[in-house]
Amino acid sequence: MQLSDATSSPGTGLTLLKLHNVVKNFGGVAAVGGLSTEVRAGSVHGLIGPNGAGKTTVINLITGIFHPDSGNIQFDGNAVQNLLPAQIAAIGISRTYQNVRLFKGMTVLEQVLTGCYLRRGVSLWASFLGLPKARARWAETRAHAMHLLQRVGMADRADELAETLSYGEQRRVEIARALGADPKLLLLDEPTAGMNSVEASVIGRLAHELRDSGLTILMVEHNMGLVTEFCDTCTVMNFGRLLAEGTPAACLKNPDVEEAYFGRKSDAERIKSVS
Amino acid sequence: MEKVLDLWAAYGSTVVFAMVNAFFALSTYAVLSVGVLSFATVVFAAIGGFLAAQMVAHFQTPLFVAFPLAAIAGGLAAAVLAAAFLKLESHWMALASLALVLITKVVALNAPLLTGGVNGLIVPAKASPLELAVLLGLATLIFYRLYHSWFGLISLAVREDPAVASTMGIPPRRIQFIAFVISGIVGGVGGAALAFTLQFISPETYFIGIAFSMIAGTVLGGSFHWLGPVVGAVVFTALPTTVQAFVPQIEDVAKGVVLLLIMVFLPRGLIDPRAMRLRKANQKTTPQPVAGKDAVV
Amino acid sequence: MQLFLEQLVNGWALGSLYGLFGIGFGLVFSTLGILNAAHGTYASWAAILGYFSVTQFGAPFPVAIAVGVLGGGIVAVAVDQIAFQPLRAVKAGMLGALITSIAFSIILDSLAGFATEHQSLAFPAGTYPRQMVDLGVIKVPQMQIITILALLVCASGIYFLIQKTRIGAAMRAVGWNETAAALGGVNSRMVILLTALLAGATSGLAGVLGGISTSNVSYALGEGLMLKGFAAVVVGGYDDIRGTAIAGICLGIIEVFVAQYISTSFRDGFTYIFLLAFLVARPRGLLGSVNFTRA
Repeated sequence: MQLSDATSSPGTGLTLLKLHNVVKNFGGVAAVGGLSTEVRAGSVHGLIGPNGAGKTTVINLITGIFHPDSGNIQFDGNAVQNLLPAQIAAIGISRTYQNVRLFKGMTVLEQVLTGCYLRRGVSLWASFLGLPKARARWAETRAHAMHLLQRVGMADRADELAETLSYGEQRRVEIARALGADPKLLLLDEPTAGMNSVEASVIGRLAHELRDSGLTILMVEHNMGLVTEFCDTCTVMNFGRLLAEGTPAACLKNPDVEEAYFGRKSDAERIKSVS
Repeated sequence: MEKVLDLWAAYGSTVVFAMVNAFFALSTYAVLSVGVLSFATVVFAAIGGFLAAQMVAHFQTPLFVAFPLAAIAGGLAAAVLAAAFLKLESHWMALASLALVLITKVVALNAPLLTGGVNGLIVPAKASPLELAVLLGLATLIFYRLYHSWFGLISLAVREDPAVASTMGIPPRRIQFIAFVISGIVGGVGGAALAFTLQFISPETYFIGIAFSMIAGTVLGGSFHWLGPVVGAVVFTALPTTVQAFVPQIEDVAKGVVLLLIMVFLPRGLIDPRAMRLRKANQKTTPQPVAGKDAVV
Repeated sequence: MQLFLEQLVNGWALGSLYGLFGIGFGLVFSTLGILNAAHGTYASWAAILGYFSVTQFGAPFPVAIAVGVLGGGIVAVAVDQIAFQPLRAVKAGMLGALITSIAFSIILDSLAGFATEHQSLAFPAGTYPRQMVDLGVIKVPQMQIITILALLVCASGIYFLIQKTRIGAAMRAVGWNETAAALGGVNSRMVILLTALLAGATSGLAGVLGGISTSNVSYALGEGLMLKGFAAVVVGGYDDIRGTAIAGICLGIIEVFVAQYISTSFRDGFTYIFLLAFLVARPRGLLGSVNFTRA
C-alpha cells in the first residue's frame, strides 16, 4: 500500500479529482446535467442522492465506461474524460460495483491477484515460460495480495471460493481486489447496500483506515446516516444535477437536500389538510 | 503381452482418433476459455491438414517439419481471422465462424491444385501413435503452463466479466487475440495429425460434423481446465465404439443422449475446478451465488 | 430469354425455400438467443411427417402441407421445452443451448434416418400438384408458384406480426432482454413457446415444400436447408424478416444462375463468397440492427 504525501487530516489536501460541467444524456434522458464537483486528496468523499440521481452514471463516466457528451473530468491535473477503462485503471483509479462483481469460479486470493495485474512486473510470456524472475515476481505479487486481504480481514479465507462467502465478506474481497494495483483513488459504489449496521460499520472503518494510509475514496451512498458517520465531505445530487456540497452536516441542513429526501413542507401541510 | 497387442488391434484406432480429437478439443478450449464461442478450429485444421499433406506429397518433407509448418500456418490464419472478425459480442463470432467453416469447404472444393478438389488428396505418410502422443504431450504441457501462469488467471477474468476485467487494466481483446493464435497453432497441428492418420483428406473431412463434435467434446470434458478437452475428446471418441460393441443401432443417438445428460447435470463439464472447490466448501456453509455474469461461455 | 426467365423463377422458388427456413432459424436466434444446430431437423421431420400422412393415410396435398407445418412446429416446441427451457432456469447462455441443440440434432437426425430407412424418399406422383402453369412466355411448375407464394405470404405475415402487433412487440422485447421484458409485464413463457412454434412451423413449411420439390425427403434435406438458410440469415440481417426473405431469394437466384452460366461445381461457392463479403463489409447484413456486432 503506497503512502502518499497528503496530510492525514481529511479534506485539506490538493484536489485530486475534478468534474467540470459534465453532461451525459441517454436518448432523451439527461442522466447527468452539467455537474461540477471536486474531491480532495486524502479524504473520504460521499456522492449521495436519491435513487436515479445519476450517481452510478458519474462513477461510470469517471471510469471510462461512458464518455461525457460535454464537460471534462480531471484527475491529478490531467484530462481523463476520453480515456478507456484500462487506461483509467493504469493512472490509478479503481472501483467496486453496486452488486458485488467478483469473478465466478475463483478463490478469494485469485480475485485479489487479478486486481494486481497492473503491477505484476513481468511479461505474460515470461510468466508462461516460468522463468526464475517470473516466479520471484509472482511470489511477491502473491504476498502483496495476501497483505491486502489481511487489511480487509479476509486473509484466513484466501483459498476458499469467493462465491461461498457471505455478502459482506465478498464486498471486502472486492475492495481488496480494487486495491491490488495501488490506486490513488478508490470509487466505492454503494459499498454497504444490503448490509446490516454491523457489516456497514466494518466497511466504514475500513474506509477510514485506507484514508489514513493515504488513499482517496469517493463513496456512492444513499443512506444519509452512513454518510454522516463515514464521510469527511460530500456532494449531493438529484436528477443529474448538483444539489449541495460540503460537510455532511452542512448538506443535511440545506433546504434543497431536505426537499429531495423528505418532500416539500408545503406539500406535507396540504396532504394533512386533505385527509 | 499378447493381450496388449490384441487390445491394440481392437482399439488402437480409437486411441489414435481420440488423440487427434484431443488436438481439436484443445484448440476449441483455447478460445472458449477466454469467453469466445467459435468454430474456427475447423478452418485452422483444414489449413494445417492440406498444407502438411501437400508438403509431404510434393516435397517429401519429413513429419517433424510438416507439423511445425502446419502449426505456423494455423497460427497465421488465426491471427488474420481474429484481426478481421473478433468483436466482443459473443453471438457474432459464433455465426461468423460457422460461416467461415462453410466457406472453407467451398474454397477447398474449388482449388483442386491445393486440395485435390472433390477427389481429395492421398497423404503418403503416416504419423505413428507414439509421434502423436509426443505432440499431444507437448500441447498439453503448453496448456498446463498457460493455466498456471498470469495468462490463465486473466483468461478466466475476461471470460467471466470482460467489463470488470478491463477496469482492472486487463485488455480483453488482446487476450482473446492471443487465445485465437494459440487455437490456430494447435488446430493446425490437429489438422495435420488427422491428415497423417486418415492418409486421405478431402473438403468433406474438415466440415460441420467435426465442428460440432469438437465443441461438444470440449464442453463435455470441461472448458475450465486444460485436462477437460483431453478427457472430453477421449470420452466422445470412445463412446460410439463402446456403444457399438453392445447396441450398434443407437451409436449416434447415444452420443446425443450423453451430451444432453452432461449439459443437464454437469453443465460445466466433467473436469471443473469450481465444482471441486464447491465440494470442499460444502463441508462448511451453503454457497451464496456471486452476482456477476452467469453465462457458461 | 426463355431459359433466363425459367431459371429466374427456378432460383426464386429455390430461394424462397431458403428464405422460409432462414426466417424460422433467425427467429430462434434473434428472439431466443439460440444458435440452434437442431433447426434443420425440424424441416426434415416436417417433410417426413408430410410424406407419411400421404403414403399412410392418403392425405390430400393441403392436409399434407398442414401436417408438415404443424409437425415442424410441434417438434420445435418439444425441443425447446425439453432442451432449452431447463437451461434458461440456470442461465446457461448461448453455449449451453448450442451444445444441447447439437445433442438433439444428432438424436433427431438418427431417428429421421430410421424413419426413412436411410433412404431419400419422394412424394408419389399424384399426391401433389405437378402441372405446369402457362404464363405466356414460360411455363412454371405449380410447386414453384406455391413455394414463391408461401414465402411472400409468410414473410409479410410474420413481419406484420412482429412489427405491428402487441405480441410481436413482446417478441422483440424478449429478444432484447428477457428479464426486462418479463419485468415489463410480458409473459415471456408464452412468447418463447409461440416463437418456437412459429419458427418450427416456418422451417417446417420449407421442409415439406422442399421435400416435395426436390424429391428428397430425408435427414439430409434439413442439413442442406440449414446451411443455405443460415447464409440467408447472415446476409439478410439476423433479426429482420424482410432481409432474410430477400436474401434467401437473392441467394437462390444467384445459385441457379451460377450453376447455369458459370459452372455447377461452383454453385455453392458463390453463395458462400457472398456470405464472406457480407461478413467483412457489412456484418449486420442487409437490414439487421447495428447492435449485433458491438459489445
